[in-house]
Amino acid sequence: MKDIARQQLSIQVESMDLLNNQIKMEAHASATYLAMASWCEQNGFFTSAKFFFKQSEEEREHMMKIFHFLVDVGGNPISPEVTGINHEFSSILEVFESALEHEVKVTESIKNIVKKARQSLDITTERFLDWFILEQVEEENTVRDIVDMIELTGMEGVGKQMIDDKVADWIE
Amino acid sequence: MLLLEKSTYYSVHQSETKRLFHVDFGQKVVKLNFCQMLALREKVNAIQLDLLFDSEVNKHGLHMLTLCNNEHLFVLSIEQVIDLVRLVHNSFAAMGLSQKYVPVSL
Ligand SMILES: [Fe+2]
Repeated sequence: MKDIARQQLSIQVESMDLLNNQIKMEAHASATYLAMASWCEQNGFFTSAKFFFKQSEEEREHMMKIFHFLVDVGGNPISPEVTGINHEFSSILEVFESALEHEVKVTESIKNIVKKARQSLDITTERFLDWFILEQVEEENTVRDIVDMIELTGMEGVGKQMIDDKVADWIE
Repeated sequence: MLLLEKSTYYSVHQSETKRLFHVDFGQKVVKLNFCQMLALREKVNAIQLDLLFDSEVNKHGLHMLTLCNNEHLFVLSIEQVIDLVRLVHNSFAAMGLSQKYVPVSL
């Protein structure tokens, strides 16, 4: 008998569910960074705003990468609903700290999919996520460095403008 | 026709001549291609079972299920919904595409 199912889909359905969830997470990250860009613009952190506009685009690219992967393997990618985006921050430090928190969550989520894919011998999904694992190292590192820089500079007096100018170092 | 999975109310067969799955809903048999099977799985996964049991939210205890861009409509009792969830998950396990096998518990 022909194995119709396997001919149509080359990953496990549980991996597909987790990847759809990851699509949602990347979309949420993209929208969150857009909110952060908005906050930065309104509070005079124009370079930081530029940084977050760029991050927002990158997150959308991540989302699309997974979306197209699901198309390629014959899966059922779901266009995500994005709700509950926070627009309120008390300081630029809080903005970057919550960006870091977000990145850590994303990393953990991707690692979890790798773990599950490995358990079900879904090598295709596991390999696909290699790129994301390394990308997350970069993402986390970038934001962590900025948080460190803000803490070192201090937010009193001239700090605010200096902090914003320095963020340019992390915009490629 | 090859039987993939049978539950209390429903069954799924795989056609041996066409690239189709035959889902027997009792009232009628619906022929689904693989993508439509995935869509059915998505629908079933989206059902919030706890809300079905909530008599405030769901007074009549029924669930409406549409398939294939609203070509088919089914009205299911809670018991049938649970049965369908199991059927769909186990069908994918039988296809070798899922690790999740839900044992008969009703
Ligand atoms: Fe991302």
